[in-house]
Amino acid sequence: MAEVMRMQDITKIYPNGFVANKDITFAVGEHEIHALVGENGAGKTTLMKILFGMEAPQEGKIFINGKEEKIANPLDAIAKGIGMVHQHFMLVPSLTVAENVTLGAEPMKNGLFDFDGAVKATQEIADKYNFNVDALQKVSDLSVGQMQKVEILKALYKGAKLLILDEPTAVLTPQETEELFEQLFKLRDSGVSIIFISHKLEEVMRICSKVTVLRHGRCMGSMDIAGLNEAAISKLMVGRDVVLKIDKEAPKLGKPVVEIQNVVKINSIGKNVLDNVNFTIHEGEVVGIAGVEGNGQTELSEVLAGLSSFASGDIKLNGQSIKGKTVREIRDQGMAYIAEDRMVEGVAGDMSIKMNIVADRFTKPDFKKGMFMDAKKINDIADQYIKDFEILCDSKDQPVRMLSGGNIQKVVVAREFTSGANFILACQPTRGIDVGTAEMIRKTIVKKSREEGTATLLISADLNEVLECSDRLLVMRKGKIAAAFPKANEVSEETLGEYMLGVKEMTQEEMEGLL
Amino acid sequence: MNKTQKIESMMEVVRILVGLVIAYAVALAILFAISEDPIYIVQQFVLGPFSSPRRIGTIINLAIPFTICGLSMCFMYAVNKFNLVGEGIFMLSACMVTWVSILLAPMNLPSVVMVPVMLIVAMLTGIAVSFIPAIMDRKFNANVVVVSLMLNSVIQSLATWILRYQMRDSSIAYLGSLETPASIQLPKIFGSFRIQSGLFIAIICVVVVAILFYKTAFGWKMRLVGANPRFATAVGLSAVSISFIAQLAGGAFAGIAGATEMMSNYTRFQWTTTTQHGFDGLLVAVLAKKNPVLVPIGALFLAYIRIGADVVNTSGDIPTEFVTVIQGIIILLVAAESFLSGTKNKLIFKAAEKEEKAKEAKAA
Repeated sequence: MAEVMRMQDITKIYPNGFVANKDITFAVGEHEIHALVGENGAGKTTLMKILFGMEAPQEGKIFINGKEEKIANPLDAIAKGIGMVHQHFMLVPSLTVAENVTLGAEPMKNGLFDFDGAVKATQEIADKYNFNVDALQKVSDLSVGQMQKVEILKALYKGAKLLILDEPTAVLTPQETEELFEQLFKLRDSGVSIIFISHKLEEVMRICSKVTVLRHGRCMGSMDIAGLNEAAISKLMVGRDVVLKIDKEAPKLGKPVVEIQNVVKINSIGKNVLDNVNFTIHEGEVVGIAGVEGNGQTELSEVLAGLSSFASGDIKLNGQSIKGKTVREIRDQGMAYIAEDRMVEGVAGDMSIKMNIVADRFTKPDFKKGMFMDAKKINDIADQYIKDFEILCDSKDQPVRMLSGGNIQKVVVAREFTSGANFILACQPTRGIDVGTAEMIRKTIVKKSREEGTATLLISADLNEVLECSDRLLVMRKGKIAAAFPKANEVSEETLGEYMLGVKEMTQEEMEGLL
Repeated sequence: MNKTQKIESMMEVVRILVGLVIAYAVALAILFAISEDPIYIVQQFVLGPFSSPRRIGTIINLAIPFTICGLSMCFMYAVNKFNLVGEGIFMLSACMVTWVSILLAPMNLPSVVMVPVMLIVAMLTGIAVSFIPAIMDRKFNANVVVVSLMLNSVIQSLATWILRYQMRDSSIAYLGSLETPASIQLPKIFGSFRIQSGLFIAIICVVVVAILFYKTAFGWKMRLVGANPRFATAVGLSAVSISFIAQLAGGAFAGIAGATEMMSNYTRFQWTTTTQHGFDGLLVAVLAKKNPVLVPIGALFLAYIRIGADVVNTSGDIPTEFVTVIQGIIILLVAAESFLSGTKNKLIFKAAEKEEKAKEAKAA
């Protein structure tokens, strides 16, 4: 079987020193649906951006049909027969399907856009591959599944012979997924090669003939699907680079602090992003949540922090329901929140370190002196925390945006760890920061649970972190709790990977007593 | 880190100065092109505003409404809601103050009662008017810019209607209201400078707003909401209601501005169109970078170039419109935050490199 595309020894290092791809070799053959799998941050997207001309690698070569090519930009990639369907659709909602499909390579008549020609051409390709879309419909009137078809048509219209699909089924219903697979088979048979990026191993097993696994920017191998099982793939995908150890004694459990009861949240397209979630966090323990990103972790944290509502069920914090309460009320009930993205919800970059540190409490009466803010008290607190948390800065009046990532995160934890809450909701608390700060944050989480009896929910994509910091470990998949383990540090990466990727799932009985 | 901060604040000043220099250079180039006697005109434009006490007084008098309107816009700007209704409020509040003072005239109240009452009337007018775009933004997510601009035309007609049908003085030949009672006419001060006593109102307003912004919880809330609304929400502030209240407060100050202008400069209400003061307030707030302490400086600067244009207009062959060009360039360069950012980044990069080298040398 001839190779249509080969990426040879690709290395990509970002300006901040992050090694996204290291010596990756990846080849796709004719008539092939080739799966590219790996955890978040494994380097799949970077590799595909390089292939599509959106990023330039430091090292490595790309061959198209055996000939070495330089791909300068996406237009160049399209001209070389590469098409990409992004996870987030790139369509103009107010235009028709035909206009969207032909955009960038419009049929012309007398120097003007030939609308009828565009409709005809679009309908022809759609019919050829059995895509059930109407070229005259407006994109804004389409369902998500149909929009995806338009995206694929866009690539095909421009003559794509190699189609990159970035997590195409993430937004689809099961029926739409089936339909998509049928069309992919048809495309494959008519000579289009497909790169299928996915976390869903059952789909990979079903439709792909080869799989390439990436982990931490390195290629773990390319194999034929025949003869593999899901467990073998997940073992390659999930793993730790360096094993981190945190010494901690067994937790002394107290009364339940957070009780999550049958919580259901439905998103705007009607999908159950939280599907009957049930678990309890007790005083003195750290509960970790592992899972491939996008399986309901973000939604769960937003619901717990009071930033979004849920359809049914109930959440109790220190015995009182938080349903319908404002963030202020929930925080007063005892919640502290380390947000997933510190620049979006963790700090106000243009404001001073001082203001960011007291942002959650300056409205309280003990920070006031008559009508005004108690400037001395606020300054003292800011100075104290800058010292305690070793925030590297010139002064407490410096804008937070001038600090490094790790120091910004220290400002966030200085606020959240000292708020007096007995429940800490920590989402990706150490993402993208230096090792020293990460260690300090992890140790503080464990220390607070042991010494102050804090209940912590740790949601993290960092396996080291969830396995080592947590006492109990839960796995989330498709908005549900898919597995529960009593001791996080005794769970093997292989087992965890199997549950994260849906190779296995625990029954309600198996999880009994662990939720 | 320390160096970075120094470079940032230094470049901020440099950027504004360079902006001003470029704007003046363009102005001079235009003058040289269109004027018979450019040197004289330039001299008049730059120094003319300071050539007599009367002119200096006029700069200050013009800066008074600019200052209060600028403060009004600081509230809107602080929470990132460009509610431009200040333009309409300025006119309507002057109208309401006139009307209410005429209605209260028979009671013969002294100034100490009347002036505060008028200011309260003005603030209530401002709050009531800015409530409309603010509530539409809050409840229906209607764009405040569009709503407030449309509302300005409605207000203009409303004020004209009140003038025509409720308080017109039919004994005068032009369209104007009855005379306001002497008790609300603010005196001029400082002899030949003829400065309005509204100056005191402006100074009090600046102090009040500065304290509100930097010393009270509400000011902190507004600034946090403006800097990052999602963060403000996540730490338990209600971004929606804070920006709502900030818009009402901004409206109140626009009202004070209109009332001050009315009481200081006029004995009859005679506007039939809005006066641009609201939009000038936006310019001032942008120049001052939404910092109420800097608002008077921005206002004085704007007043200075306006008077310069007037002087040139009366003493030379240059139309006032040309000042609009300079104004535009200045605002553009001051507001364009990325202007000279390349130079700034280079400086920061060099400083960082130097520091690294110093460290290495130390280590060696």
